Amino acid sequence: MNLIREIWQSIVRRDRLSTDKGKSELVFLNVWLHIHPAKVKREHMKFSHTFYLGFITFFLFLILLTTGIALMCYYRPYPPQAYQDMKDLEFVVYMGSFLRAMHRWAAHGMVVCVFLHMCRVFYTGSYKKPRQFNWVVGVVLLLLTLGLSFTGYLLPWDQLAYWAITVGTNIGSYAPLVGGQLRELLLGGHTVGEAALLRFYVLHVAVLPSLLILLTIVHLWRVRKDGGLSRPVWKLKESKLETLVTIGAPAETAALQAQPAVTSKTYGLMEVVTGKPIFETVTPEEEEDTVFSYPYAFVREALALMATVTAIMTISLLFRAPLEELANPAKTPNPAKAPWYFLGLQELVSHSALLGGVVAPALMVVALLAIPYFDRNPSRQLTQRKWALGLFTLFVVVNLVLIVVGTFFRGPGWALVPPWVHVVGGAE
Amino acid sequence: MERRLQQIFFALSLLALALIVAAAWQANTPSWKTYQHKFYELEAQGEPNAVAKAAVLATPPEIHQQLLTGLQRVDRCTTCHLGVEDPTMKDAPEPFRYHAGLGPHVPARFGCTICHGGQGLATDEESAHGKVDFWPNPLLTKDYIRASCGRCHKEGDVPGVPELTEGRRLFETQGCPGCHKLNGVGGSIGPDLTGEGANHRSPDWLERHFLAPNVVSTGSAMPNFHFSKDQARALTYYMLSLTSEDMGTYYSSVRLIPGPEFGRQLFVEKNCITCHNIGGVGSKTGTDLQGVAQKHSIEWLDEQLVNPELVYPGSSMPAYDLEANARKALVAFLSSATADDAQAIISRRPRPLTPEDVAIEAGKQDFARFGCVGCHGTELQGGVANPNAQGGEVPSLLHLSDDYTKDEVLAIIRNGRVPPMDNPNGAAPPLYMPAWKKVLSDEDINRIADYLWSKQQQKKDSW
Amino acid sequence: MNRRSFLKWSWGAAGLLALVSAIGVSLAAVLRFLMPSVFYEPPQAFKIGTPADFPFGPPTFLVEEKIFVFRDRDKGFSAASAVCTHLGCTVAHFQSDQRFHCPCHGSVFAADGSVQHGPAPRALDWFEVTLSRDGQLRVDKNKVVPPTYRLMV
Repeated sequence: MNLIREIWQSIVRRDRLSTDKGKSELVFLNVWLHIHPAKVKREHMKFSHTFYLGFITFFLFLILLTTGIALMCYYRPYPPQAYQDMKDLEFVVYMGSFLRAMHRWAAHGMVVCVFLHMCRVFYTGSYKKPRQFNWVVGVVLLLLTLGLSFTGYLLPWDQLAYWAITVGTNIGSYAPLVGGQLRELLLGGHTVGEAALLRFYVLHVAVLPSLLILLTIVHLWRVRKDGGLSRPVWKLKESKLETLVTIGAPAETAALQAQPAVTSKTYGLMEVVTGKPIFETVTPEEEEDTVFSYPYAFVREALALMATVTAIMTISLLFRAPLEELANPAKTPNPAKAPWYFLGLQELVSHSALLGGVVAPALMVVALLAIPYFDRNPSRQLTQRKWALGLFTLFVVVNLVLIVVGTFFRGPGWALVPPWVHVVGGAE
Repeated sequence: MERRLQQIFFALSLLALALIVAAAWQANTPSWKTYQHKFYELEAQGEPNAVAKAAVLATPPEIHQQLLTGLQRVDRCTTCHLGVEDPTMKDAPEPFRYHAGLGPHVPARFGCTICHGGQGLATDEESAHGKVDFWPNPLLTKDYIRASCGRCHKEGDVPGVPELTEGRRLFETQGCPGCHKLNGVGGSIGPDLTGEGANHRSPDWLERHFLAPNVVSTGSAMPNFHFSKDQARALTYYMLSLTSEDMGTYYSSVRLIPGPEFGRQLFVEKNCITCHNIGGVGSKTGTDLQGVAQKHSIEWLDEQLVNPELVYPGSSMPAYDLEANARKALVAFLSSATADDAQAIISRRPRPLTPEDVAIEAGKQDFARFGCVGCHGTELQGGVANPNAQGGEVPSLLHLSDDYTKDEVLAIIRNGRVPPMDNPNGAAPPLYMPAWKKVLSDEDINRIADYLWSKQQQKKDSW
Repeated sequence: MNRRSFLKWSWGAAGLLALVSAIGVSLAAVLRFLMPSVFYEPPQAFKIGTPADFPFGPPTFLVEEKIFVFRDRDKGFSAASAVCTHLGCTVAHFQSDQRFHCPCHGSVFAADGSVQHGPAPRALDWFEVTLSRDGQLRVDKNKVVPPTYRLMV
């Protein structure tokens, strides 16, 4: 018995969980859990503060990772075997069609959730100092998510995949000077073919997921190091401008030492560092408003995880992932559409190649990346950010409208056709 | 609050458990397992004793598949159609019935979909029979399955499928190659038909299309040939059999051994008797063909038919464009032909042919074979509608000599001609005369012109 | 753990139990997912053609199926595995000495498949040959028979 006890204690070193010490040690002695603080503010756990969108996105990624690895066991990245493998997944592999559907719907869900997460962060002003860089990381993660979804779109090698990628990569080729070469680099040829499938596969299963994982680590780390979750807007004190200093900040910021240290608790390397950490500081009265992460935060995260998983499973049981005919370069479906999240761009391209292919996407990415540096208004109060909110809302609405128009209102020949009108296929 | 959250967590975990069990249950109960179970029950009925019955019933369910690397297919049809090769299942209900008359076409070698169509990879009825979205190749109905024979048997007579032979004959004689390319040969006004069978048009559509091309396919330039229903069906068979799929050596080397009957038909069709004789009966211009097959090797005879100049420099025998099987058939006929055969062939003719007649006949055959008849008609009558061309239709060629010299006609055949427009601002007429100089040899062109001129003279004579 | 705290967390514990079983079923499902349902390789039981396809005398080697088919004038058909029992190399049948030789580690098998030299731990397998209803010979690699087994046609 002693041996068992010893083995157990060699693994689990914390105190019993009934003690406060045990509860904090559970978090900070565990490599997986210590991304959490030992104690969290009650207000941060409120659903309406974050809608748990970051967590949900992360959980969707976990679903994608596990189902994706399973699917890789039955996939050969060259045509037309790739398509045959899809048929095998649908028809003979045990639960193959279920896992494929999970992967597919989780992928769409992740694109949606990343976007919603970004909106939440914007509307709560959480990208502002000191979190500017984490916003940038977030935007890159959004782009990586789109890239993953886009590269995965080709892999089934059916008509849907083939033409979505053909159209999608052609949107990119409108970039001046380098557009054509970029497309060639991505496709490994002039058209979507064997080389393109292999490259998209490599990007989809190796390059992009690794980058995404690395940046996610940075993103989460930064959340903690930038002071945890931002304070809910409704908790902000009117026009209280916090002056903050980075740990190890250069000497000229030392003036900020003037703030009385007694009212706040500081973390970090106290012997070495001058000044306060960059965290939004915790006052004693706020300290009382915190609870241990175990079990309060963990229960909620587990709930978010289970809700995500069950939602994806339910959808996957009800709806199979789409699979059309084998890709046929000689036969373009009418209309050929890019993946839905690029349909806004395709809609613009249909009016002006330069606008949709170059100006709009470049502007969007640059604008998103620049937001935290461009928006110098320090206030996070909704009433004090009318311009920023207006512009961002416009961006969101225009995007959504274009995507909805491109998805539901575009029929054969890219003609405007309402979804409730049934268009009979053109004469053969 | 915390209690409520735990309850939700419990509920969600339970839901997750239920969902995964549901998914597993769904995966565990595919419809093919039910079919297999029914089949083994049926099979067990025929077993003599309880032990054998139990053994049959205990057969584990599994997917049966035929790996057909040569055909680039995987057919899983026999997962449910378990009795296909079992004669005792002759009267069993579908999907278990025995497939009689397979001959050498065993499923292990050929699978099912190469003839029947459908989706070989699928394992549920609807998908497998291809009656689903996004599978362009549904099961062929009983009437059209035999068209698939032509996918491998590309030449000669296919026994039991007269439609295929008739369709091929119509294609070659009614002028289809004038507008359509097939395996790289033919005109470019209509679509290339090389892989038409792989376009997965429904047989019904094809048949209606042949009966009234521009009704089914609006705006089509294809003239209405006024085919009979049987002819439309024959052409449909032929279209369904056209495939550019790579069939693999085992399948593409499948040849029917050509019979003398086909050879005899060719012998008549190509007017061999006009120059040759058999045992002295016939023309003495060429050699006596009796016993020729015994005198020479098969390779020699084959070469002679392909390229007479090469075997006998200065030979006046034209090079007939015969496919390999047709040549074999001719040789097969010659190896047994006697003077009586020659007599029978000659006596069918209204009058004996002269070598000039033969040259004109060869011109006529070229006129048909290269597709001129498609627009100009088998009797040179023209009359095919060609909107906005002068006169609104393809002109008759019976009065050529009134307007052109023979040299001018030769030039038109060589270089092609766009018909003058009725309304210069309207759309260009869909039909035009293609340039033939790259397709036809001068010899062919001259022969065609000779044929045309012979018809002109007849016209004058008849006046 | 006292009664109060047990009650406090009992729903969570039940949820955890449900979760663990869901994970258990999922893991089992994934394992089943990874078990191939169809094999892209020659089947274990297969037809090899009609008896007339096989000559008397030297065995016919079927490359894909990796078997030797023997046809004996008096005794009938038999099929030997061409897979060495040592490490799975393909053995060759030498007509000169009527034995099987493995190229990898020099194992030699007698005409009846028994080991004569080398590291092979046991004799070559002989498979059941039957005549199916359509008149073709059928070999079933799942059914190992003694070397004396013969199918008379």
